Amino acid sequence: MLTIYGYLKNIMKKKLCLVLLSTTFFAIFTGCDTAEVAVDTVPAFASTYSPLDSETMLITNAHIIDGNGQEIENGALLVMDGKIAAIGKDISDNSNLTNATLTIDAKGRYLTPGIIDIHSHLGNYPSPSVNAHGDGNEVTSPITSEVSAEHGVWPQDPGFDEALQGGITTLHILPGSANLFGGRGVTLRNVPSRTVQGMKFPDAPYTLKMACGENPKRVYGEQGGPGSRMGNVAGYRSNWIKAAEYKKKIEQGDDVERDLQLETLAGVLSGEILVQMHCYRADEMVQILDIAKEFDYKVTTFHHAVEAYKIGDILKENDTCAAMWADWYGFKMESYDGILENVPFVHAAGACAMIHSDSENSIQRLNQEVAKTWANGNRAGLDISKAEAWKWLSTNPAKALGILDQTGTLEVGKRADIVLWSADPFTTYARPEKVFIDGALMFDKESGLKPKSDFRLGYGPENGESE
Amino acid sequence: MSSMKIVTTTLLLISFTMPFSAPALAQDYFISDAKLVTNTTDGIIEQADIIVRDGKITEFGENLIAPDNAQIINASGRWVTPGLIAPFSHLGLVDIDAEDATNDISSWDSETSISELASDSFNPKAASIANTRRHGITHAVVSPDTAGNSIFAGTGLIANLSGNYKSVENNRAFIYLELGESGTRRAGGSRAAAMAQLRAALDDAIAYPDRYKGPEDGDVLNRQDASALLGVISGQMPIIIAADRGSDLLNIIELQKAYTDLDIIVLGAAEGWKVADELAAAKVKVMVDPHNNLPLSFDMVESSFDNILILDAAGVEYAITNTSSLDVTNAANLNQHAGNAVGNGLSWDKAFAAITATPAEWFNLDLGTIISGQEATLVIWDGDPLNVTSAPIDMFISGKRQSLKSRQTALRDRYMPTSKETKPYKYR
Repeated sequence: MLTIYGYLKNIMKKKLCLVLLSTTFFAIFTGCDTAEVAVDTVPAFASTYSPLDSETMLITNAHIIDGNGQEIENGALLVMDGKIAAIGKDISDNSNLTNATLTIDAKGRYLTPGIIDIHSHLGNYPSPSVNAHGDGNEVTSPITSEVSAEHGVWPQDPGFDEALQGGITTLHILPGSANLFGGRGVTLRNVPSRTVQGMKFPDAPYTLKMACGENPKRVYGEQGGPGSRMGNVAGYRSNWIKAAEYKKKIEQGDDVERDLQLETLAGVLSGEILVQMHCYRADEMVQILDIAKEFDYKVTTFHHAVEAYKIGDILKENDTCAAMWADWYGFKMESYDGILENVPFVHAAGACAMIHSDSENSIQRLNQEVAKTWANGNRAGLDISKAEAWKWLSTNPAKALGILDQTGTLEVGKRADIVLWSADPFTTYARPEKVFIDGALMFDKESGLKPKSDFRLGYGPENGESE
Repeated sequence: MSSMKIVTTTLLLISFTMPFSAPALAQDYFISDAKLVTNTTDGIIEQADIIVRDGKITEFGENLIAPDNAQIINASGRWVTPGLIAPFSHLGLVDIDAEDATNDISSWDSETSISELASDSFNPKAASIANTRRHGITHAVVSPDTAGNSIFAGTGLIANLSGNYKSVENNRAFIYLELGESGTRRAGGSRAAAMAQLRAALDDAIAYPDRYKGPEDGDVLNRQDASALLGVISGQMPIIIAADRGSDLLNIIELQKAYTDLDIIVLGAAEGWKVADELAAAKVKVMVDPHNNLPLSFDMVESSFDNILILDAAGVEYAITNTSSLDVTNAANLNQHAGNAVGNGLSWDKAFAAITATPAEWFNLDLGTIISGQEATLVIWDGDPLNVTSAPIDMFISGKRQSLKSRQTALRDRYMPTSKETKPYKYR
C-alpha cells in the first residue's frame, strides 16, 4: 500500500509541481512548474530525542516478567548500547557479559518492561491545573483534526517526573474528548527535556483522537451541534467522505489546496495514523466499527471502553484493542455499567486489552490498577497468570501505539526500557527502585536520582526558606 | 455566658442521633480461626475466635467454645477486621455525578446552607452503596459539597452501608465548609473574605438567638443556618474544613485558638507537613490522602508523599481518605490509599487505624476496634486488607450478615466470558 507520502512523491514526478514539503506525509502545492524539484523531507516538529548515556549492565537473580507471558525466576538480563542484549535463566554463554561495567544483583526483586500509558494528558492538562494550563481540548469546533496534542504539551509538567517514579517509560498524550475529531496524539519517551521534540518517540506513528457519545453532544449541543448521538455519527461520516475525496484527488495527481484537517483524516485512511477513540458504550463502539468498514479504515483502540466486556468477541473479530480503567464508573451515564473485571473479561474473550490512566495520579501506579483488575478477574473464575496480565501494562499499549517492535517487552534487540521493582508489582507495597529508558538510569530510589521540573524549583526548605 | 446556656439547651432540642438498634432475634455467629486485627493494644491475634451475639462482639480470643445456636464460620486463618469507615464521601447523595437530576451533592440555588441535612438527600438504594460495601466499607461519612456564595456546604451524616432504609446512624454528624481556592471563590474572591465569613458565621451562632429579631438578622447567617451551627460552636459536633495550603492551615489553627470549643478536622492538608508541629500543638485533626504528591493547585505546591509520615512523627491525629479519586468510585478504593501510605513508610497498624478506629473515634461511633460489647461490624478478607489484590468474602454490620452482591456483580455475572449460556443476554 502506498503511503500518502508515497502518493505525493508520485505526484511530484508526474505533475512536476513545485513542492514545499513540510511534514513527512504531506505537501503544500503552491503552483506548477516544468522541472522536477528536489525536496527537503525534514518533517516539522521532528523528534530530537537521543538516549542519555548508558552502561553495559548485567542484572542477575531477578524475578523477570518479560511482557510476552513468561516469568523467569532467578533470571538475568544484559543491556548493551541501550538495547537488551540478552535475557534468560542462564545467559552465561553470552560473549558480551565480560563487557559489563555494572552488575546489579536483583535478588528478591522483580524486573519488568517499562510501563506504557496509552492515555495520558500530562503536559496538556498539567499541574498546577490553572486556567492557563488547559491546552488539551480545542473546544472551538467538533472537527479539529488539524490540531496536535504535542503543541499543547508543557514539558515542565511535574507529572512526568512522578510518572517516571511509578515506572512509566513511554506515554501517549491525547487531545481531550470534546470533539468528534479531536486532533493528533503524540507518543513520548518519559524523559526530561526542555522541548516536546526532545521527548518524542522517534518514528512512532501519529494517532488521531476521536470521541463518541456524551462529550461532543454535550459541548456542542447548543453551539451548532452535534446535539445527539445521531449528529455524532453524521459528523464522522460526512468528514470521512471529505477525507476520502481529498485522498483520491492526491492519488489522481490533482491540484489540491493543502488542508491540515483533511491531511490527518487522509493519513488514517491510508493507514499511517492510528485511530484512538474515546468510547464508553458497547453499542456505540460497534456502530463505530461499522463506520470504519464503510470508509475502510481501522480503529486501533477504543479508550475508556467501560462496556468493552459486553463485546469482547466483536473486538476480537475486528482486531481492535480496548484501553480501560480498573474500576472507574458512575461519573456519567455512559460509565454507569462499569465493572471491576472489564480488562480481564476483554482479555478472556481473546481481544487485546490494556490498562490506561487518564489521570496524573493513577499513572503513578498503573501496576496496582492492573493488580486490582487481575485479581478481580480471577476471583470471578478466570485463570490469568501475572505474566499474561503484565501485557496490559506494556505489551498491548506498545502494540496499539505501533511501537511494539521497539519496546513493550524484554526481548533481545529492543530498547532497554526497564523497571526494577522492590517486590512483586502485583501488590500495593512494591515500588520501582530503578527505572531505565534506553538503558540509561532515569530514576533511582536509592540515590535519589529523579528529574525535577522547573516549576518545583524555589519551594521548600532547601530552596530559600529563611529561619 | 448566658448565651452558651441557651446554646446548649437549644442543641438538646434540635440535635438528635438516630438510634441504631440490633434486631431482637439476631442470628448469633462463631467465627473461628481468624487472623484478627483488633486495632487495640491486643494487636493482631493470629488464631482468634469471635463470638457475635445479639449483634455485638461478646467475646474474642484463642480457643473459645462455640455457643449453642451460633452459626459457625471458619475463617481458616484469614484476616478478620473491623469494617472500614470511609472518612469523607458523597455516597448515597448521587447516582450519576454528571446528571444534575440525580445529584444532590450541592444545592446551587438554595437560600440555606448549614441547616441543609444531607440525610434528607441520602438514598441507601443508590447503586454505589452496594458497589462500595463489597470493598469492605461498612460505614461512610457522607458530606454535602459547597455551592453558590457560601463557604458552608451543610450538615453531614454517618451511615452504615447495609443499603437498608434507615441506615443513617447520625443525621447531624458534622458541618462541612471549604477554605482554600474553593472557599475563596465562593466568599467573593479572597481568603480574607472567606475567613471573615467563617468568623462572622461562628459569631452569629454564638449570638443566637439574641441577635435574631427577624430571620435575616445575622451578620452572615440567616436564623436557621445560625441555629444549625450551634453544635459546632459548643464542640459537640465536629466541623470539617477543607484546606491544603500551609498558610490556610495556620489560619485554622488561629481559629481554633480564638474559638476554643471547636472540634476541627481539616480535609486535605496537603501541605500539613509544613506546619505539622503547629497542628499537633493545636490538636487540629487532619484527613489526608496519601496519594497526593503533585502540585495540583497553588494550594498544594508542596504536596509530598512524606506528608503523612511527617504528620505522624509530629503527633498529629490523622485519618486517611481518598479525595484524589473520582467521586462515585472514590470511597471504594480506601484500602489502596491506606496501603500506599504503608508502601511509602507508614506502619501497617497506623494506616489501618486511619480508616477504621480513628474516624470511628472522631465521629463517636461504637466501631473500628475489636472490643467486647462493641457492635459486631466485621469483615473477613481473602488476603491482607491493604493489598489491592484482596477483597472481602464475608461481612457483618452490627451482627447482620451483609450481601456482597451489587449492580456491578449482576453485570459481571451476565457477561461472564466463561459462561456456556446461549440465551440472549437480556434473558440471562
